[in-house]
Amino acid sequence: MENLHQNKSFWSKYVFSTDHKTIGTQYMIMGMIMAGVGGYLAYVFRYNLAFPGKSIPFYGMLGPQAYNAFVTIHGMIMVFWVGMPVLLSALGNYLIPIMIGSDDMAFPTVNMLSFWIFAVSALVLIASFFVPGGAFGGGWTMYPPFSAQGYVNHNPNFFTALFSGTSLLILAVALELVAMLMGGINFLVTTINKRAKGMTPWRIPVIIWFINIAAVIFMFSVGPLVAGAFMLLFDNVLGTGFYDPHRGGDPMLWEHLFWFFGHPEVYVLLLPSLGVLAEIVPVFSRKPLFAYKTVIYLALLSAFLSVLVWAHHQFVAGIDPRMATFFSIGTILISIPFAGIFLSYMATLWGGSIRMKLPMLWAIGFIGLFLVGGLTGLFLGSNTFDIYAHDTYFVVAHFHYTLFPDIFFGFFAAFYYWFPKFTGKELNAKLGKWHFWLTFIFFNGVFFLLFFNGLAGQHRRINDYSSFSLISREPYQTFEQIATVCAIGLMLSQFIFLYNFITSFRKGKKAVKNPWESTTLEWQSDSPPPHGNFNPYPEVHRGAYDYSLPEAKEDFTPQNVPNVN
Amino acid sequence: MTIFPENVSTYGQEIDNLFWLILVFAAIAFFISLFVLLYPLIKYSSKNGKRAEYITGEKRKHYKWITYALVALLLSDFVILYVEHDTWGNIESVPAISKNDVHVGIIARQWNWIFVYPGPDGVLGTRDDVVIDSMNSSLHVPINANVIFELRSTDVIHSFFLANARLKQDALPGRTVMRWFNITKPGKYDISCTQICGILHSKMRNYVLAETPEQYKHFTDSLYNANKVVTSSK
Ligand code: HEM
Ligand SMILES: [Cu+2]
Ligand SMILES: [Cu+2]
Repeated sequence: MENLHQNKSFWSKYVFSTDHKTIGTQYMIMGMIMAGVGGYLAYVFRYNLAFPGKSIPFYGMLGPQAYNAFVTIHGMIMVFWVGMPVLLSALGNYLIPIMIGSDDMAFPTVNMLSFWIFAVSALVLIASFFVPGGAFGGGWTMYPPFSAQGYVNHNPNFFTALFSGTSLLILAVALELVAMLMGGINFLVTTINKRAKGMTPWRIPVIIWFINIAAVIFMFSVGPLVAGAFMLLFDNVLGTGFYDPHRGGDPMLWEHLFWFFGHPEVYVLLLPSLGVLAEIVPVFSRKPLFAYKTVIYLALLSAFLSVLVWAHHQFVAGIDPRMATFFSIGTILISIPFAGIFLSYMATLWGGSIRMKLPMLWAIGFIGLFLVGGLTGLFLGSNTFDIYAHDTYFVVAHFHYTLFPDIFFGFFAAFYYWFPKFTGKELNAKLGKWHFWLTFIFFNGVFFLLFFNGLAGQHRRINDYSSFSLISREPYQTFEQIATVCAIGLMLSQFIFLYNFITSFRKGKKAVKNPWESTTLEWQSDSPPPHGNFNPYPEVHRGAYDYSLPEAKEDFTPQNVPNVN
Repeated sequence: MTIFPENVSTYGQEIDNLFWLILVFAAIAFFISLFVLLYPLIKYSSKNGKRAEYITGEKRKHYKWITYALVALLLSDFVILYVEHDTWGNIESVPAISKNDVHVGIIARQWNWIFVYPGPDGVLGTRDDVVIDSMNSSLHVPINANVIFELRSTDVIHSFFLANARLKQDALPGRTVMRWFNITKPGKYDISCTQICGILHSKMRNYVLAETPEQYKHFTDSLYNANKVVTSSK
């Protein structure tokens, strides 16, 4: 086996690799590059918001068309090309096989294909900036008829309509969804079929459960969107009228199809990071995860409820007012399982022996920020208050307080935790602390004050507020400037991370096999794990969270330990 | 600095009150949670040298606290739902017709708001309707009257936002939505479009000009007169 491994060429080893860890790395790096692009776009339009009409360093003048396109593609990138690849694909690929005690994914070639389709989708997305007319600028929600005018605008040239920013964006998203779908099937089949001996369902670590539940939610909700996306594409290039009321279509149809996917999608993004917390909090509290089975049941319940809330994005869209109450109740109900999961993590801390190491710091920061995001959701779940708050900066601040901790804090927690395992090197803890505190402070600096801008009536997706007397006044313009300065600080702070990543990877101290004294299987393999992960293959004898067992001498008992003492 | 822009509608105060009510619940939940999250970091720090307790969270005496918290959350949610329910019905359904009502049409188009006045007969959709399609012309309404409007769009989705009245409603092409407001204070209030609708979305601003009934009458009289002249000269 080792020989075979060494004979591989550079191409088959690093580029067209079928090894789950390499594919995980590819997804992670790709996600990080796209985060750079999405962050740059945010920098440009944030700068514009603080200093309207000024030339922007490292960009130039930003016109209204480009502003709209930048906002749109920023949102798209952060959700589909950062959140999804990093949380679902990278974590799933790295962790599923090794944490269930397997050598690789069930379908390694499908896995490789999934990544390359994803890479193509990213190229199509970026290419959409460079076609005539530029990238699509109608918001990441792509509401028609605005997003369905390709055929009319390019009338009736099929090719210019096909190679327009709008069509390319639809294509890019469709490709991305296909890639994620292939990955998701792989996750499920792997988890079901390739578990080590003794890895019964109730011994599977929460993160593996959650990634699989996320994959199921994704697969369940994505079908209608793909169908809807093709109808949108046809409206654009073939001149059909699915969303055009003048020809019997209805734009509301898209809103339903989009949000039927769009809301569950936020749980697809949330569950993997909640899984990260479920691994990190017990390890650094030296205590079993509080109510392990209940946590999993709660996630299953939330998966079920996730398809019953979508129209809370359409409270003021003109749906029947009586429907709104139904979706308000759905929204209330789904907050319960998620609150339960977070409470279980907090309960895990009580009575523990807490080690405030870096991964734990990110985990606690995540929970703290998400608290703000979740509680501001109470306001928006109220259909009545949403009449006022919808499409204002209150919403923008709210969803950044949920998605930013979810995607970035969740990723960094995972990164600082598993880096020693997958590279065999230690990270510089001091730089890590700087990275954490600067990110935490600057993030709050960007978004906290924007809640007030939203409450003052500041609506979103506006490049120039000078026409609006309510907003182009103090202190709201100062708040915009504080937000921008902090956003720049936030982005610069990430270079500390990059520097730490690269230098530690190249010449960091050698990491031991199980530096955090964890119980799950990946830590029982070498750091880094060899091709095939284990030698010999482990047999599982216990649940994933046997910390501080009263009968054990050590305060952790790995899953492959048959009996204590 | 006040949190909200000045409220000038009859129902706006209910929305503001709802905000404060939710804020009370949210603030209580926030500070309790923050304590539950941060206190153990000190109390149970490994620096104290004590071994962790083996608690799996499956015993009632342990998980009952979470159950209480979830029930409290659910209850406060339903309190909010209960309190807001009437306001929702009030804003989202058009009140019973009275003869003081004013009926107008609001049509969104890339990138302006077009206003339709009902003409001398006071009824929309008749031949004497007057359409005002100009960036420089506000929507005139009398104060203390129910202004019932039909909202439409001719092209893409827009959204009618009158922050001072706490009212927002999307305008979708292909449908007509009826909403209403009643403004209690004379003044000029921003109408903005809150659904991204293209390159001049940021400029899609007009005003509601709330006037005393006399001023309003004066405005409509001269509007209808001027318009009559135009029609008859044809
Ligand atoms: C680097 C930090 C970030 C900054 C400074 C930032 C800033 C902003 C701002 C100001 C807007 C609103 C612009 C407008 O409505 O005119 C926005 C929109 C958005 N952001 Fe971010 N953001 C950041 C990170 C993220 C992350 C991590 C996500 C994760 C999913 C995200 C997702 C979105 C989405 C979905 C939108 C809505 C786009 C749309 O309106 O179509 N952003 N961002
Ligand atoms: Cu939602
Ligand atoms: Cu508009």
